[in-house]
Amino acid sequence: MSLFAYARPKALGEALKLLKNGTIALAGGTDLITLMRHGLAEPDALVDLTGIEGLRGITREKGRGIRIGALTALSDVEASADLLRSLPIVPESLRDAATPQIRNMGTVGGNLLQRNRCWYFRDEGVQCWLKGGKRCFAVDGENRYHAVIGAHECWIVSPSDLAPALIASDAEVELASSLGRRRIPLAGFYVAPSGKQRKEHAIRRGELITTVRIPEKALERKGTYVKAMERKAWSFAIVSVAAAARVRDGKASDVRLVLGGIAPIPWRVPAAERVLDGTSLDDNACLAAADVVLKDATPLRDNGYKVTLARELVRRALRSLMS
Amino acid sequence: MPGLRVLKSRDEFEGEIYTSTVIVEGDDLPASRDGAPTAEIGRARPRVDGRNRVTGRAMYTQDVRLPGMLHAAILRSPVPRARVRAIDTKKAEALPGVRAVLHRFNAPEIEFRGEKTLFRDEVKFVGDEVAAVAADDSQVAQQAIALIEVDYEILPHVVDLEEAIGPKAPKIDPDGNVHDAGEYKRGDFRKAFKDADVTIDVTYRTSTQMHNALETHGAVASWDGDRLTVWESTQAVFGVRNMLKDALKLQPTQVRVICEYMGGGFGAKLGTYKYGVIASLLSMRLGRPVRCVLTRREENLAAGNRSATLQKLKLAGKDGRIVALEHESWSNSGQGRWAANPTGPSNTLYDIANVSSTAHRVTTNAGALSAFRAPGYVEGTFALESAVDELAVAMKVDPLTLRKRHARSVTDPRTDNRYSLKRLLECYAIGAHEIGWSKRRNAGMRGSQPHRRRGLGMATQIWGGGGGPPAYATVHIETDGTAVLRVGVQDIGTGTRTAIAQVCADELGLQLDQVTVRLGDTDAPYGPGSGGSVTLASIGPAVRIAASEVREKLLVAAGGILEMPASELRIERGSIVSKGARTPLKEVMPKLDNSTIIGTGIRHPNPDKLAIKTFGAHFAQVEVDVRTGEIFVEKVVAVHDVGRIVNPLTAASQVQGGIVQALGFALTEERVVDRGLGRVMNANLEWYEIPTSMDVPEIVVRFVDVPDRKANNLGAKGLGEPPIIPTAAAVANAVANATGARVRHAPMTRARVLEALAMVGAS
Repeated sequence: MSLFAYARPKALGEALKLLKNGTIALAGGTDLITLMRHGLAEPDALVDLTGIEGLRGITREKGRGIRIGALTALSDVEASADLLRSLPIVPESLRDAATPQIRNMGTVGGNLLQRNRCWYFRDEGVQCWLKGGKRCFAVDGENRYHAVIGAHECWIVSPSDLAPALIASDAEVELASSLGRRRIPLAGFYVAPSGKQRKEHAIRRGELITTVRIPEKALERKGTYVKAMERKAWSFAIVSVAAAARVRDGKASDVRLVLGGIAPIPWRVPAAERVLDGTSLDDNACLAAADVVLKDATPLRDNGYKVTLARELVRRALRSLMS
Repeated sequence: MPGLRVLKSRDEFEGEIYTSTVIVEGDDLPASRDGAPTAEIGRARPRVDGRNRVTGRAMYTQDVRLPGMLHAAILRSPVPRARVRAIDTKKAEALPGVRAVLHRFNAPEIEFRGEKTLFRDEVKFVGDEVAAVAADDSQVAQQAIALIEVDYEILPHVVDLEEAIGPKAPKIDPDGNVHDAGEYKRGDFRKAFKDADVTIDVTYRTSTQMHNALETHGAVASWDGDRLTVWESTQAVFGVRNMLKDALKLQPTQVRVICEYMGGGFGAKLGTYKYGVIASLLSMRLGRPVRCVLTRREENLAAGNRSATLQKLKLAGKDGRIVALEHESWSNSGQGRWAANPTGPSNTLYDIANVSSTAHRVTTNAGALSAFRAPGYVEGTFALESAVDELAVAMKVDPLTLRKRHARSVTDPRTDNRYSLKRLLECYAIGAHEIGWSKRRNAGMRGSQPHRRRGLGMATQIWGGGGGPPAYATVHIETDGTAVLRVGVQDIGTGTRTAIAQVCADELGLQLDQVTVRLGDTDAPYGPGSGGSVTLASIGPAVRIAASEVREKLLVAAGGILEMPASELRIERGSIVSKGARTPLKEVMPKLDNSTIIGTGIRHPNPDKLAIKTFGAHFAQVEVDVRTGEIFVEKVVAVHDVGRIVNPLTAASQVQGGIVQALGFALTEERVVDRGLGRVMNANLEWYEIPTSMDVPEIVVRFVDVPDRKANNLGAKGLGEPPIIPTAAAVANAVANATGARVRHAPMTRARVLEALAMVGAS
């Protein structure tokens, strides 16, 4: 780790002014510090956001959905009575995320912005495509945890548990920079690295996530999050599924199906959601939807099992919406 | 000197028999007849050092900070094989705070593991030592490492076991990559296999497991101009001392090695490593203490591992018995020069008439193996005990019944020596009862949720653990009436300190808190390394003799003070007891002024022509989700026959720890190496997944707890390794029982379980 300057502003405006070339925003630090230790992030300066009070907390306003401040700790999201009542899929997605200690430190914004966990990317001695190198080493290498679908030059998988659950809840992120503010759907916030885009997020230089907004309409859906791990705790998802649907008279509509761990971005296939519209989410419908989700899958040498797992997890997640 | 004899002792260590010369003095004490608990032995005692450990007062190697201490860092090869053509250290040396840089062009000739240099001209694995830096702090040392420029001439490499065996692999050793590592035969395997009713021919694989002790390897060396003191996290203070004195050409008295507390070893710290020599060399060169502690990544590149194996087994059954067994194995030893032979259990566990085994060591461009808790036996038992179950299925016989038919023999089939004690059938009986074996069905059982199946499985373990000489103890009584016990062994976290304090207190008639144990220091007389499950069985009997001698002397001395014949006195709970009177030792001792009562104890040799073994059986109950391949280990019952149990509490924690580590081997732990880059992709605790508390099942621990009176005067044998041996096979057998799917590769990851399930069409 090389030397860096450090600032802890008290106001958002001040923080935005400090964010420029060579600076990185620090929140919980659970990802950033490890990136710095391994030479994968080399900031000249860190702008510590934890002194900014206004970016923390969860607010529920009747008819206006839910707002989650970007600095809210993951453990606070997990324990939020408002969310447990009106949007349980979100706290549920965090139950098996990392460890309690990391959830205490980690923040919503940091979780959504975390870098991928590819072991070639994380190895400072490997110059992979995402880091400006010539190729992805996973394609012909050790790829049991890599993408089975949606990859271009780079076969990373999206590691966040929170992101699929939020996308299934139609979440938007509010972004701020010294130039202004903008709001985009969270689904559009993730990009599969390709071409000149050697990155995973659509965030711009000098920008911060300030808030995650969930519209009122999403609260009418029932949702669930299931996750397959190699061990019983403290593992990134091999495959995860966030599923949500409006359920009335035994029929599903307005379905959301978002998978984690299988593609460079949280993987949502609207055509699969449409397959489920009006069905009772029976096994046949669920498996048909899974087939649509996975039809373009091109597994690598060691990760074909993810397709099997994804199919079953999609079925289970959707089925559970009817119980 | 009366009663002094020079003898040969034959003792088992990690599956091999070694002969050594021992000097014996006086007579050994008899072992307890019935093994009933005494004042201390057989009592569950919390660790005597528990308070120091949990309050942070315990001094681990990593905690050692000396005035003026420098920090060393090691530059390791980023490539799996290359010739080091040139090293440019100018930039590194120009960095403020850098005190020295060592590398192959400026380091002295050092004998280390059969090579004449610390820094090879041809580096042979990613992580091989290229250079070392000493600097004022560890940050500067790390920065300096990055500034060293090395010119590598890249050479062809191979890291994968099966590729290295193949015809296309580059020859890493001049004579090829595959080397003989042991052969054994009894009877006529070929004929018996041909004449059998039922045969199986199966291949098993186990992946490389890494120790990942909580405390990484490391040393702090301090040279005072005449003597080198080294604090090292080691399982063998004398092993380190001997290596250092040879490497640095010093006298034994010039090297002192200390390891008072350590955060785990599991075999990887039984050997010796270059970092200790590097710290010592730098300290001797610079005249300041030097600390060299490995990072987690270095730990997983260059500090040992359990070899990956490929194992082919053929078994044959006839008339309800196993009549033939052939076991051929290949172990990826990396750059190690020995193999942890997996065929040991096949050669010795069962009374099978026709056995043939061959073991091979395979050289690759990966870090050397090291001992890892029952090296070879964990890998071999996974294969053997899986295969025995597969044969039982083919023979349509209950797998436990089949094993019982081959577990009755009272002689070691390899040497024809009688076992000193064998209670394996009792282990089976207790375990079967605890797990509810009678409810096992050949086709498994329904699970607790849809798509889940439940199954039971079991497996057997055999191991040494008899210990042996040489090992010495001294005990003296302080002026306050308490005892100080001094030994040259170390406590690697297993509870040695507590167990030998109990032995000492018990023999002396003191309370446990009246015994102070000094260990982990080569300034004491020799004690063996803590490996091969030998520590307690080696040092315990010596402690007992030393304490017994002190007791006899103390009674005479107390008789003199109290004006009573010694024969009418005894010592109980720290007091001299005579008819109707108790005098605390703390009142007796001051009357002796500074006279000190000292006793010494030696470990007597093991009896000739007897096989001292430990036996045990683990039973596992699992559920398997047949759609997702997830294994839920619900319960493991462990029953061990390891002689007398000195401390049931620490013994149980050994078994629990062994099972947890075995579950890692069975389910998740696997080193992943990129074949092209030769790099370990998961040299961390993120993708190298050791079990978490959530992965730990209900564990039931039982001991047969009968003293092995022929083994030694305590009747105790080792327990460090036995509990890691049979768990993986027991789980694999339970998975097969539950689902019909046989997973022949440990760890049994999702991918492998799903593949096996797909083969049998389970869902």
